[in-house]
This record gives sequence, C-alpha cells and structure tokens, in this order.
Amino acid sequence: MTSSKSYSSLTLIAAALLLASPVASAQPTIKLGMTTALTGPFNEFGEGNRRGVVLAIDEWNKKGGINGRKIELAEAMDDQLVPDKAVQNMRRILDNKDIVAIIAPAGSGPSLATMDMLEADGRPTCNPLAQSPSVIYPKGKDQPPRKNVVSMAITNESEANRLGQILGKQYKNIGVIHESTAYGVTGAELVKKSIAATNPAAKVQIESYNQRSQDMTSQVARLQRSQVDAILVVGLGADFAVIRKNMSRANVKVPLFGSTGAVTAPYLEGAGDLAIGTRSVSPDAFGKRPLSAYAQNFVDQYRAAHGTDRWYGSDAANPQISMAAIVGNAYDCAVVLLDAIRRAGSTEPAAVIAALNQTKGLAGIAVPSITLTAQIHEAFKPEDLGLFEINKSAAGALYLKPVVE
Amino acid sequence: MDFFLSLVIAGACVGSVYALVAVGLNLTFWTTKTLNFGQGAVMMLCAISTALLTAQGLSNGVAIITGVAIVALVGVIVERIAVRPALKTAGSMGWVIATLGFGILLQGITSKFFGSQAIPFPEVLFTVQDVIDIGGQNISLQYVSIFVVSILIIVVLEALTRYTVLGTAIRGTAQDMELAIVQGLPVNLIVSGSFVLSSIMAGIAGILTAQISGTVDPAFGFELVLMGFVAAVLGGMGSSAGALIGGIIVGIIGKLVGGYISTAAEHGIAFALLIMMLALRPEGFFGRAEVTKA
Repeated sequence: MTSSKSYSSLTLIAAALLLASPVASAQPTIKLGMTTALTGPFNEFGEGNRRGVVLAIDEWNKKGGINGRKIELAEAMDDQLVPDKAVQNMRRILDNKDIVAIIAPAGSGPSLATMDMLEADGRPTCNPLAQSPSVIYPKGKDQPPRKNVVSMAITNESEANRLGQILGKQYKNIGVIHESTAYGVTGAELVKKSIAATNPAAKVQIESYNQRSQDMTSQVARLQRSQVDAILVVGLGADFAVIRKNMSRANVKVPLFGSTGAVTAPYLEGAGDLAIGTRSVSPDAFGKRPLSAYAQNFVDQYRAAHGTDRWYGSDAANPQISMAAIVGNAYDCAVVLLDAIRRAGSTEPAAVIAALNQTKGLAGIAVPSITLTAQIHEAFKPEDLGLFEINKSAAGALYLKPVVE
Repeated sequence: MDFFLSLVIAGACVGSVYALVAVGLNLTFWTTKTLNFGQGAVMMLCAISTALLTAQGLSNGVAIITGVAIVALVGVIVERIAVRPALKTAGSMGWVIATLGFGILLQGITSKFFGSQAIPFPEVLFTVQDVIDIGGQNISLQYVSIFVVSILIIVVLEALTRYTVLGTAIRGTAQDMELAIVQGLPVNLIVSGSFVLSSIMAGIAGILTAQISGTVDPAFGFELVLMGFVAAVLGGMGSSAGALIGGIIVGIIGKLVGGYISTAAEHGIAFALLIMMLALRPEGFFGRAEVTKA
C-alpha cells in the first residue's frame, strides 16, 4: 500500500514535470540573423560585430530572455564584405520566417546591396557599421528613413563633421586620400564640406586609391607637391599602413589623421612605430576614466568571454578604443532590437518597429544614450566621438590616447 | 623636377617587379606555350611563408630561402596537376582555367590555415626610413634595392638561358619539343624546371612587393600577375629584354598618369596600353610575329 502511494506520488510528480517542462521548452526562441565578414581581409569588423551580438544575447539570456523566451543568433553567415555574397546570405536569412530581427552587414558596400531587400521584407533591422548615409536615408537626409532600419554606426556625417572641424581649425592646406568605395567617396566629400564650413579659406586636395593598392607613391607625391600641411586618410587599416609607409619613404612629415575605419589593428600592425602620432576620431566610450558602469560591465563580459584578444588589445585595464566602434556598435544593435521586442511584447515587425521608434535614452556602448524616433533612425551623434592619438606604452604596445582639444 | 623624379623612381621600382613576374610567365611560355595565371597565389604563398617564419623567430635569410623553396615545390605541383593534363586537350581554355583554379585553391588553403587578415611583412631590405641623397633628391633605399635585385635576377636568368647547356636545352625545347625528345633531351624535366624557375621568380617578386606594401594577405598578388601579364605582352611574349622594358614602362607610365593626371587612372592605364599594343603590334616591342607553315 505504501509503495502504491509512493508510485502514485511519483507518477503525479513526473506528470507535473512532463506537463511543466514542455511548456518551458516549447517556448520558441527569439531568433536573430546576420550576414557579416566573418572571414576575409576585413573580418576584424564582421567577427567583431558577431562577438558584440553574441555578448548581448548571452547577457539577455542570463537575465531570463524576453518574457521567458530565450534569444538565439539563428544565422550568422559569412559574406567577407563582398556585396554579392551578402545578398545571397540575406536571401537565405529572409527565407527563414522564424528570424524576427536582423543585423545588417559590416560595411557600406554589402549593406547598400541588401538594404532594398530588407526594406521590402519589413523585418526590423539594425545597421552596426555601414557609414554611408544612403543605408538609412536612401532619398536624402531631408526625406524619411527606411521604416524598418535603424543604425548604431558612426555616421559619415558625424565623423566627417568632427574631422572637418578639427582639420579646418588647425590647418590651411589639407590633403585627403580616400578609398574608391561608397564609404571613402562620401566620407571625403563630407569632410571637404565640413572643412569649408569651418574655414572657408582652407584648401582641400582630394586623391583616391583602390583598396589593396600596394604602392601609393602617386597619391602621396601629389599631396607633397601641393605642400599640404596635414593629411587625412578615409579608408581601412591595411591600406592606411601602405600610405603611412609611402609618406615615410617620401619624407612627408605632416600631421596624419585617419578615419575610424582606418585606425584599426591592421594599421597598427602594418605601420608599426610609424603609426605613432596618427590622430583619429572614434567613439570615446573607452577613452573616459573611470569607465561608465555600463561600459565597464561590457568590457568585463567581453574579457571573460574572449580574454585580451585582437579586438580587446593586450592591456587588460585599457581596452582598445576601436573596440567600441567594432564590437560595441553591434552589441548596441542587438540590445536596441531586443529592448524593442521586449517593450512591444511581440515579435510582429510593425509592433517592434513602433517600439524602436520610441527608444529613448537607452544605454549603449558606441552610442552611450540611444534615442530613435520615426524620423531619426541614426542614433550616433557627433558628440559621441572623441579625438585620439596613437601612442606607445612603456611595454611597447601601440594604443589610442585621448587628446584634450 | 623632384615630383617627376619621385614618380619615375617609384614607377621604375614597381615596374621592375612587374618585369620579374613577366619573366616568370615567359619561362613557362617558352617550354609549354602556357602561362601560369596562378602566379599571384604563388607570390602570396612565398611572401606569407616568409612573414610567418620570421614571426616565429627565424632569420630573414632562412625565412626567405624556405619561402622560395616552398613555392619551387608548388611549381612542380602546378605543372603536374594543372598544366600537364590540360595540355592533352586542344585549345588553351584547359590550362587557363586549371592554373587560375590552382591559384584560387592556394588562396583558400592559405586563408583556412593562416587566416585572411593582412600579416605584417618584415623589412628585409633596408627600412622605410633609409634614404639616399642623389642630387638633393631623397630616394628610398628600399626602392633602389628592389630595382637592383629585380634587374640582377633578370640579367642572371638571361645569361643562364643564353650561355649555359641548361639554357640551350630550354631554348631547344621551346623551339621544337618533338625534336628535343628525339634528340634525347629530358623534356619533362625541362618543362618542370621551367615551372620551378617561374615560381621562384614569382616568389621573389612577392617578397619584393611585400617590402613596399608592408603587409601580405591571401588576396595579395592577383593584381601583380595582371600587371606582369601586361608587361610581358607589351615587351613581347617570350622576350626577357621585352619583359624588362615592358615592366618598367608600365610602372613608370602608371605613376606618371597617377601623378600628373589622376590617381584614379593609375591602374587603368596599364590595360589601355595592353589594348593599344594588341591592336597595333600584337607581338609586342621585342617579340617576333609568329609564322605558321602550311
């Protein structure tokens, strides 16, 4: 009799567990998708973005997910920053109807190639890195943005305005060398406008190059002949290193500035000590001391997951400034999308987009305070950028040091 | 004048590397009438091997010799698996696709095992800050050394093919392979040797170019092989002197166009030259028009 009662109790408990557990496990995960440069010569951006998204998802899952539903990065596909591959990957992501929010590719080329598809599909999307204004405002900044796409990326406009103000105030004859991509061309044009607005008397000479050029003598020689008193490079790290070496061979010793995309690990590795003194604007989340509590938590979480790696840098106490713009931005993207899903109480695109448009003062890394409206889909502001200069530590490591203007 | 000179010097230096690539292409053209379009990947492999080995603490000299030895072996492999089988079929599509495919495979393997990121290349010939003053003009010793090394290699190779038994055998095979076989020449060995030498040329070109750029990545070399091809066609396919002159012309004109007209046109001009040469003088400056007897 006793054993019969025990069995009955056990059966009841088992039945309860069986009934309870399927409810928990039957809760479908909230799925995100992304295509980015996980491999290839520009994977410092794509892999950095993926790490940022995963970090945010892990944090939210530790807190219980959203309304009891766990979050999952269901698709993280590799496009190597090649637009064609990004389009193919995005097609596959969009064909998966379980994916409720999307992180856009890590560059203007692949982002522009996929944006029309994303806009037509309508699912909420966040751009972590592409700086071209057309990504968000295809018809111009005076026209409404794409309804379902928001951006945490440094905008070309913010970066160009900041760089243009710094250069225009200090120099009279400025050389700009830019890569021949949408990012480079737009960036150079905007810098020129900003310099003209800051100092109408300043002269600006613009030169271009193709990505991966192995010698930039012509560009450097033309600027040298024009006797420029400062040079700005709008491009990516490995090419910037080639330009710096060419400047050294040609004995060009004017102050050198780089865009955020240029002053990255490949520049420091390729140019070595020649990089010392190079100035750049970058999100200043990690330039402030002490770090904000939010930034400190992000830094600690990242270091716990990956250690002091290529993105973090070798100094555990001082994460690389560039990590905010490469990992922090994608982290912000995931957080802003998840926060909107939470507030919407739904994964329906219209509800999530409505919630996105009401995002106000949400804490972030690359963007310390994220605010979006139906008209403003770019969260990044010029004041989020700080001015930095490459220095060498006593241990011999190159790092960005904040510059007091 | 300084401006002009700096462009000419940089152009001659870069052009001498194009010439080295063109000579490498010529070597296989002599023996098999084929071009290894995977040469870009061979350059990359040699430069990346050298960079990785020096990063492991090997001396520059040992790293370079090892890198060159690796690509010499690659030369044997590409001839055996990509070219020799393709030559059994009519037309040139087979070896063009096979050599291109081999190059892409090499790129893929390198990316898989060593990553796709740019790797810093050590300064093996002077540093970027080493300059020599000639007539008040600062000239980079890296540029000068690259030019001198390239020319020296081309001259030595030309002397080898002209004045040695090996060279005579190569030229004999180039002129009439069937007769060379009848005469008892080890034709297969000569053909393999031409691919080995071609790969060594490409490897050295890769190391010299990496000196200028300072970094190497798996996509390194693709543009160089195109420029080498333009140099070879301009100078005349099969002519070493032509390759040298063609390479230097392409290099200097590219830099002068970039300097005086537009940097955006710097690379395009090489292909404009190629089209012009093919239209006006297909055999190039130093090549001879091919005559086919009925």
